[in-house]
Amino acid sequence: MKSSPNKGVLLQYWLSGALGGWGGTSDGKHKASTNAGGSVHGNSRPGAAGGGGGKVGLSGGLTQPAGWQSLLSFSILFLACLAGFSSRLFAVIRFESIIHEFDPWFNYRSTHHLTTNGFYEFLNWFDERAWYPLGRIVGGTVYPGLMVTAGLIHYVLNLLHITVHIRDVCVFLAPVFSGLTAISTFLLTRELWNQGAGLLAACFIAIVPGYISRSVAGSFDNEGIAIFALQFTYYLWVKSVKTGSVFWTIGCCLSYFYMVSAWGGYVFIINLIPLHVFVLLLMQRYSRRVYIAYSTFYIVGLVLSMQIPFVGFQPIRTSEHMAAAGVFALLQAYAFLQYLKDRLTRQEFQTLFFLGVSLAAGMVFLTVIYLTYTGLYVRLLTCYAKIHIPIIASVSEHQPTTWVSFFFDLHILVCTFPAGLWFCIKNINDERVFVALYAISAVYFAGVMVRLMLTLTPVVCMLSAVAFSSVFEHYMGDDTKREKPPEKAEEGLGPNIKSIVTMLMLMLLMMFAVHCTWVTSNAYSSPSVVLASYNHDGTRNILDDFREAYYWLRQNTDEHARVMSWWDYGYQIAGMANRTTLVDNNTWNNSHIALVGKAMSSNESAAYQIMRSLDVDYVLIIFGGVIGYSGDDINKFLWMVRIAEGEHPKDIRESDYFTPQGEFRVDKAGSPTLLNCLMYKMSYYRFGEMQVRRGALTPPGFDRTRNAEIGNKDIKFKHLEEAFTSEHWLVRIYKVKKLDNREPLDHKLRSVVPKQKYTSKKVPLMLGGEFALQVWRDSFRFS
Amino acid sequence: MSSSDVTNFFFLFQNLAPTLPIMQPSHLVTSLENLLSEKVDQMMEWSSRRSVVRMNGDKFRRFVKAPPRNYSVIVMFTALQPQRQCSVCRQANEEYQVLANSWRYSSAFSNKLFFTVVDYDEGADVFQQLNMNSAPTFMHFPAKGKPKRADTFDLQRIGFASEQLAKWIADRTDVQIRVFRPPNYSGTIALALLVSLVGGLLYLRRNNLEFIYNKTGWAMAALCVVFAMTSGQMWNHIRGPPYAHKNPQNGQVSYIHGSSQAQFVAESHIILLLNAAITMGMVLLNEAATSKGDVGKRRIICLVGLGLVVFFFSFLLSIFRSKYHGYPYR
Repeated sequence: MKSSPNKGVLLQYWLSGALGGWGGTSDGKHKASTNAGGSVHGNSRPGAAGGGGGKVGLSGGLTQPAGWQSLLSFSILFLACLAGFSSRLFAVIRFESIIHEFDPWFNYRSTHHLTTNGFYEFLNWFDERAWYPLGRIVGGTVYPGLMVTAGLIHYVLNLLHITVHIRDVCVFLAPVFSGLTAISTFLLTRELWNQGAGLLAACFIAIVPGYISRSVAGSFDNEGIAIFALQFTYYLWVKSVKTGSVFWTIGCCLSYFYMVSAWGGYVFIINLIPLHVFVLLLMQRYSRRVYIAYSTFYIVGLVLSMQIPFVGFQPIRTSEHMAAAGVFALLQAYAFLQYLKDRLTRQEFQTLFFLGVSLAAGMVFLTVIYLTYTGLYVRLLTCYAKIHIPIIASVSEHQPTTWVSFFFDLHILVCTFPAGLWFCIKNINDERVFVALYAISAVYFAGVMVRLMLTLTPVVCMLSAVAFSSVFEHYMGDDTKREKPPEKAEEGLGPNIKSIVTMLMLMLLMMFAVHCTWVTSNAYSSPSVVLASYNHDGTRNILDDFREAYYWLRQNTDEHARVMSWWDYGYQIAGMANRTTLVDNNTWNNSHIALVGKAMSSNESAAYQIMRSLDVDYVLIIFGGVIGYSGDDINKFLWMVRIAEGEHPKDIRESDYFTPQGEFRVDKAGSPTLLNCLMYKMSYYRFGEMQVRRGALTPPGFDRTRNAEIGNKDIKFKHLEEAFTSEHWLVRIYKVKKLDNREPLDHKLRSVVPKQKYTSKKVPLMLGGEFALQVWRDSFRFS
Repeated sequence: MSSSDVTNFFFLFQNLAPTLPIMQPSHLVTSLENLLSEKVDQMMEWSSRRSVVRMNGDKFRRFVKAPPRNYSVIVMFTALQPQRQCSVCRQANEEYQVLANSWRYSSAFSNKLFFTVVDYDEGADVFQQLNMNSAPTFMHFPAKGKPKRADTFDLQRIGFASEQLAKWIADRTDVQIRVFRPPNYSGTIALALLVSLVGGLLYLRRNNLEFIYNKTGWAMAALCVVFAMTSGQMWNHIRGPPYAHKNPQNGQVSYIHGSSQAQFVAESHIILLLNAAITMGMVLLNEAATSKGDVGKRRIICLVGLGLVVFFFSFLLSIFRSKYHGYPYR
């Protein structure tokens, strides 16, 4: 257990031990719980980080409970942040400090633009290197929060003469923010339940895979900072509902503003908070505090959110924001009725009440329900209803969630958080209404779409922490010292049972920590820009083909060369090779993508027409047949065909690419359309000569990804030529030739030598006349 | 004219038809034209009565197969009789009806395209003749020439949604059909019914509304939603997997899907129960510690709770492991 990947495990184990001790302290008796905590973590202390030492020294300070409490919770929180930060560094340690995947490359590129050219230049940035020939208005089509945050940190560090490259700021931004998320989760849970639950929740969120999946070092994406903003906004909201103070509400609005600037998921907040208020009204839990909090939040938050250029006037136009407006109106009406209730007699009020309520509340209620229903829910529901739009269906994130992914991402938490929900509802108050609604709506959305697991994760951590904390609170600690009145004999379940329960619960938490470490290390820490393969003896091969190819493009092509590739690689080409792309991961223009798909799936001469019309200089494809990489372009090819078919049904037909039996095959039995389309030819050009596995009994041209010998080994190009193929053939780049010279005529030129030997004097004159006629005609044509 | 009359009439006509050219070669052209217009009129009459024309073997040969035609025919070969137990046929039939109605009541309705259906129990000879052994099958019989390979609708790959059928028809015949689905009010009506039912119940019990404040009920409802979602019922709803898989070779029924990308309905139910058991264990543990009562009883509750949590969690873990091969910690 001493090896470095298990560091997070040990920390978590230690923490849960310490927390167990913490649970018992809620009524001020500390001695017993210290012993319990100490004994639990005793065996793991040698491997744990230095934090363990500080705690031993603390035992002298037991006489001052408050100081002891705050120091312990501070150190636990600090260690949680540290564990969260360090468990996200697998990718950096194994590979290097690079940006991962696809979208982060765009974010990195725009952050780079921001730091070199300044904020206003960034807001006005028109990127002519993307979506050639259309271009893209970047400033108005991104959520700038991420870039501004990274740029600001970079600026401050440079101001302090800590000169770091902006890339390192970008790589480590998400882990740093995961620490902040842990803190804000702690604060929120403390408001909802108690401090012990808060600390447990902070530990859970620090290492839970559902959140790590979006926030490992190098994944420089909106979600990394948005979850912090989400949790912090909710904390401030709960705080403002509890206190009813404008101060906290304004804080909540500012945090909401940050969230709006960071991620499109702010829609979740602007629907959840009104829902909370609405349910509070239904439960007759209306109070001045709620009125002040929501009225302030809605108005200030609305104004602030409209300051983001990409959001603009959406908050007052689109249906997913209408629920908030409806609840605002309802709250005003309700408050007005409450006011009248004090002023009018009972009889008057009753008539007015029936009139007003039946009209206003009914109307507003229906509008709210209708708009929420059509707006938010339908929008999320249609994500799968739109299966017939291939570009949405082709993104794997837009799929519903199986139970396996729930368990994979949350492990023990997914089974225990309903218990926390149960406790919250049984002991309901204003803010627990909030967390219950949060849990139910988030679990629904996570069920609809894998991607929204991210919004579920924080609430699962909080509620599981509530469940575990209430168990530890009762089972940890010694009976003999806890009893306030000694004669209260019915208290004890017996120390044996208690310690068994405690031990088993800690075992579960330990399994959770091990699972988290395993998942983080194996599933969520691959940069996907650099691939790694392992030999039988455990040594590692690094396949750096992508960067090799992009660097080749950067060095060997014209600065303004246009590179055509499938949209997955657009951001990487722009970010790493700094060349103009036709389509990229911001899939805003379906017809442009369909055109590229059509070029890829047509035969060479038809594709050449398209490529000429789009000014393509190079074509880049990903081919995994040599090393058995399954995410290559041939495996994605059917999506290209489908997307192309959607826009050009006359030219491209999906059925042409299947065998008569309806199979997609690349070998001899494959359909002739497939074997002659551009993508196939580019992938397998010269592959027929290649013996992939030496010594084994495979024929030349054996595709390891699809386990088939290719069907068309004799591939020749007329309009393209191979420009570059990377070491493992993973990336292949072709140059599109310029138009040939005019083809020589098939028939012989007419010989002007007359057959007769003699020459008449008129002949030259006649020729001259013809020539003059030709000149006259030409001049006519050009005029 | 009843349908039996029609059949008889055409039996007669068909017998005559081959003899006509021999007897009166000069009238060949006009008689063909007559025949054609008669057929078109007949088809128009039928399809004005019902948007999908039912055919038996003879009618099929006469109106769909026999040459003088200037109209395209879409034929659905199906088996709708209840004893055939073809549930796909019924779904396909509904989609087909939607499409045929959209065509029948569209402004572009003409005599260029007809929708017909041949049921296996009415025209088994047609199935034999066309060498067809699966239903439902959609085929297009073009106005000129024989049906080609693409004139058989690729049901396996595209499915039988009316929109897809319309796209296929547009591709084969150049007739564009805008599919108009009759709006489905059943959902709205059910919702209204539910709301009025709940409202009525509340009204009847307006003197005793205590049950609304019953936290246990609300907590139960909330947990039901949570369990349904975390066990992947939404995935089932969208993807529609089978309940369980029966191995055709040895007849073994497997309830757990082998891959981590998919699940069976039965599997998700098992997971739902396991999750609920673990949650109940946690709640019982808490109950045992907080309730005031007999210590022995509380000890039993506590042990039961602990047992539930530990046993069912390890069970869950082993199911998970069977789906994630190579999961054991490395």
